[in-house]
Amino acid sequence: MSPKSPSRVDLFRGTLDLLILRTLLPGPSHGHAIARHIQRTSEDLLQIETGSLYPALYRLEAAGWVTASWEKSEKGKRARYYRLTALGRKQLASEHSKWEAFARAMRLLLNPGSDKA
Amino acid sequence: MKLGMWLRRRQKERDLREELEFHLSEEADAREAAGLPPDEARAAARRELGNVTLLQEDTRALWTWTLLEQFAQDARYALRMLARNRTVSAFAVLSLAMGIGAGTAIYSFMDAILLRELPIADPASLVEISWRAKPIERTNGQRQFVLHGIDGRMDEDESGAHARIFPFAAVEPLRQAAAPVLSGLFTYFPSGRMNILINGDAELADVEYVSGGFFQGLRVSPAAGRAIEPGDDRPGAPPVVVFSHGYAERRFGGAAKAVGQPILVNNLPFTVAGVAPPEFFGVDPGAAPAVYLAQSMDSMLDPDAQARSVNRNYYWIGMMGRLRPGVTREQAEAAMAPTFANWVAPTAGNDRERANLPQLRVDAAGRGLDSLRLKYAKPLYVLLAMVGLILAIACANMANLLLARAAARRREIAVRLSIGAGRLRLIRQLLTESLVLAALSAALGIVIAVAGIRLLTVLLANGDPGFTLHADLNPRVLAVAIAVSALCGTLFGLVPAIRSTRLTLVPALKNIDLMPRMRLQQALVVAQVALLSLLLVAAGLLTRTLANLQSVPLGFNPGGVLLFQLNAPQAGYPVSGVAGFYDNLRRRFAEIPGVRAATLSHSSLVKAGRSYSLLADGAPANGTRFLQTGPGFFSAMQIPILQGREIDERDRAGSLPAAVISDLFARTYFPDRNPLGRHIQVRSRFSMDLEVVGVAAEARYGGLKGTNPPVVYAPYAQLPTRELQQMVFALRTDGDPLRLVPAVRAVVHDADARVPVTNVVTERDEIDRTMNQEIVLARLCTAFAIVALAIACVGLYGTLAYGVARRTREIGIRIALGARRGAVVWMVLRDVCVLAAIGLAISVPIARGTSQFIASFLFGTTPNDPRAIAFAAATLFAAALAAGYGPARRASRIDPTTALRNE
Repeated sequence: MSPKSPSRVDLFRGTLDLLILRTLLPGPSHGHAIARHIQRTSEDLLQIETGSLYPALYRLEAAGWVTASWEKSEKGKRARYYRLTALGRKQLASEHSKWEAFARAMRLLLNPGSDKA
Repeated sequence: MKLGMWLRRRQKERDLREELEFHLSEEADAREAAGLPPDEARAAARRELGNVTLLQEDTRALWTWTLLEQFAQDARYALRMLARNRTVSAFAVLSLAMGIGAGTAIYSFMDAILLRELPIADPASLVEISWRAKPIERTNGQRQFVLHGIDGRMDEDESGAHARIFPFAAVEPLRQAAAPVLSGLFTYFPSGRMNILINGDAELADVEYVSGGFFQGLRVSPAAGRAIEPGDDRPGAPPVVVFSHGYAERRFGGAAKAVGQPILVNNLPFTVAGVAPPEFFGVDPGAAPAVYLAQSMDSMLDPDAQARSVNRNYYWIGMMGRLRPGVTREQAEAAMAPTFANWVAPTAGNDRERANLPQLRVDAAGRGLDSLRLKYAKPLYVLLAMVGLILAIACANMANLLLARAAARRREIAVRLSIGAGRLRLIRQLLTESLVLAALSAALGIVIAVAGIRLLTVLLANGDPGFTLHADLNPRVLAVAIAVSALCGTLFGLVPAIRSTRLTLVPALKNIDLMPRMRLQQALVVAQVALLSLLLVAAGLLTRTLANLQSVPLGFNPGGVLLFQLNAPQAGYPVSGVAGFYDNLRRRFAEIPGVRAATLSHSSLVKAGRSYSLLADGAPANGTRFLQTGPGFFSAMQIPILQGREIDERDRAGSLPAAVISDLFARTYFPDRNPLGRHIQVRSRFSMDLEVVGVAAEARYGGLKGTNPPVVYAPYAQLPTRELQQMVFALRTDGDPLRLVPAVRAVVHDADARVPVTNVVTERDEIDRTMNQEIVLARLCTAFAIVALAIACVGLYGTLAYGVARRTREIGIRIALGARRGAVVWMVLRDVCVLAAIGLAISVPIARGTSQFIASFLFGTTPNDPRAIAFAAATLFAAALAAGYGPARRASRIDPTTALRNE
């Protein structure tokens, strides 16, 4: 089995899509880089399984939120680069605010009185 | 399209592989950078990647064609499974295909007759005017009703009388009353056949008189030239006709070529003004006139027209109209009915007529008049019901086949379930198999339907040249056929599929038969037997009916007689010479080699019907038929003369008017008296005194059903010449009568080329045509019963064979314990008999109830004829025993040692 840190967090359904879209916001990237970025930025709390990543990417592509094209990677190899579409940006914005609301609600419920501000 | 999808799909697969490859190398690079040796880094990366195949599957599932692909896979698998059990599959497909094919063929006729609307704009607003009255009473055969004479159809039954024809004098008042509710009221009158002479070629064609508003009211525009228009109703309008499209093509080779051509109608000059559009067949799908004439022309063509038009008790003209926008049928009826009531009241001659006056109705007419519907609807419903039974039997077979196969595949299905196949997925696959079966059956069924439609057209028309019904496989019929097949496939695939995936895995895997009950199979067999015996009863009844009809004593010899019709006055032959013309022809026909005798009468015996008011020695002889006959009629038809002499050459114009009476007439009106020398007075369209010179034995007159009427035969040569119209010649010949047709035509052409020879038929064929419906029903029903019998036998055989195979062990033990072979055979056959008996017990009460529906098709037998039920039971048990014998024999041959070692 792959080494799993005990503090690893399981992803909620639908969260992966949001994370991928957010990762692509600054610019196009390939699958491996996306996984690495999420893992690194979440301080290794989130580890993306390849088995979920690629189906998710194809799903997003089919939904029209990202487009894919073959380009040269920084090391000069052919890699499939994904970039956000306008539709994807809109989706990201809406998912983002939904997530914010959800996170706030969770915070309020779990720590009553601590989020008066 | 499909190729493009496939190519795109290959591209995607390559992309995914390359992308994963890239991911792997990136991961390995990263791990190498973290300090792992290259090969270890690579292995770790691959571990990290996980199950690549699963990943690919998951990704692929996003590409929407997976479902389609699985379906294709299932279908391929299903075809392989079918191919493995070729005989069983072939029979299942064939039996379902026969059901679907026969059903589609019959349904396409129902579609043509019952469902198709007139090919005109806005058929929904078209209405026809009709009337209804209480049941008409009769005294001495005389109707007590304002309708004294009729040219057309009136339907009478216990509920009352109904017709859609009116006296001409009622049209104008009704037209005025209808003005606020109907946009135009137009009339039509089918006047039968007229002689149409074009460039020296004479032919009889169906003619319909229509009013000037007819085409306008139906909103039918001519394909060429102009239609009959309101202007044609004016007195003195030029004599024009409109041809139907088919007739214009046949006679002139095209619609445009016909316009402006001069023709002779019953020897009077007319001009073809226009041609109706190809799809238009008139207002009655059963009539389809070839020529339309303005109603005002009838005074030129028909000497009786004037008298007919002023007689307010003579019903003959039909009316239709269009509802104005926003007006309902009921409103139109309310507006017109009082006007007709006021008009019809003074036409009643006495109180009894006044007590039952016809009441006007307005009916929807968008589907045209229902003469065809009335004629063919009921037999078609009966046939459709029979086909439904066959389809049900075939479906039961299919379900049985699938159940047995599912049982045989218990282990396979258990294995698949235990290694993780989804139940829904398995059901889908099993369902696909039954749908593939259904699809194959549907394809084959449609081929059978095409042949069936041709066959049915031939059977229903049975040589009738005026048969206009045209059925075809239109999209609606096809849709119904496909829907029925899909329904059969789903319905009879779903139950076995659900049952067979609901398994207790362990015993199924160990191949232990937990004896899942065979009750469903047995119930299906019982249902098949019950349905089959219904068909057998119907077939028995209809076959008996046909046999009864065919054994009706005719009283004359129909063998070797050629019949054909001539109408000299209609072709313009001078009235004064008609009798001589016919007599001359008779002599010349008699000289044709091969003709033993030639005679003529105004109608053939089986088609005759003319009834005159006659007096027998001053006493009214109501209901007597009157046949105009030529010399030698009785000897030529081989009707024995019981007393006196037959009509011969002596009976010509100027000599003492003579008559031969039928035996029944003699017994009814001259009992205990010598009828010879008595007198018969004709008091009808003409008055005449006839002296009885002979008594003829009973000969069947006017159809085979019903009681034979009393008949008076009178020599045509002695009747007033204007009574002479068409004549049917009868030539008794040696050998095949149709062989003489060219010689007959040559003789007639030589005598007068204007006179066409029509309705050429042998006497036997003409008799067959009168029982056409019975012949068709009996033949089809017998064929259906045989098909159903075959299907049900195979079902029975399959179920029993399967049952025996499952009981091999038990039977082996019985034999080992000393059961005799005969006892084993009987044990299996007893099962069959029990199933058959249960099925029969269920169906007998149903048969007794439902056979009432075919009561009106029966002759000489009753719906509850115990002989028919006994026949069905005997056939059924014989078939059941035949089907059961194979499996029973196999059971008795079971070798106990092998049977016991088997498990």
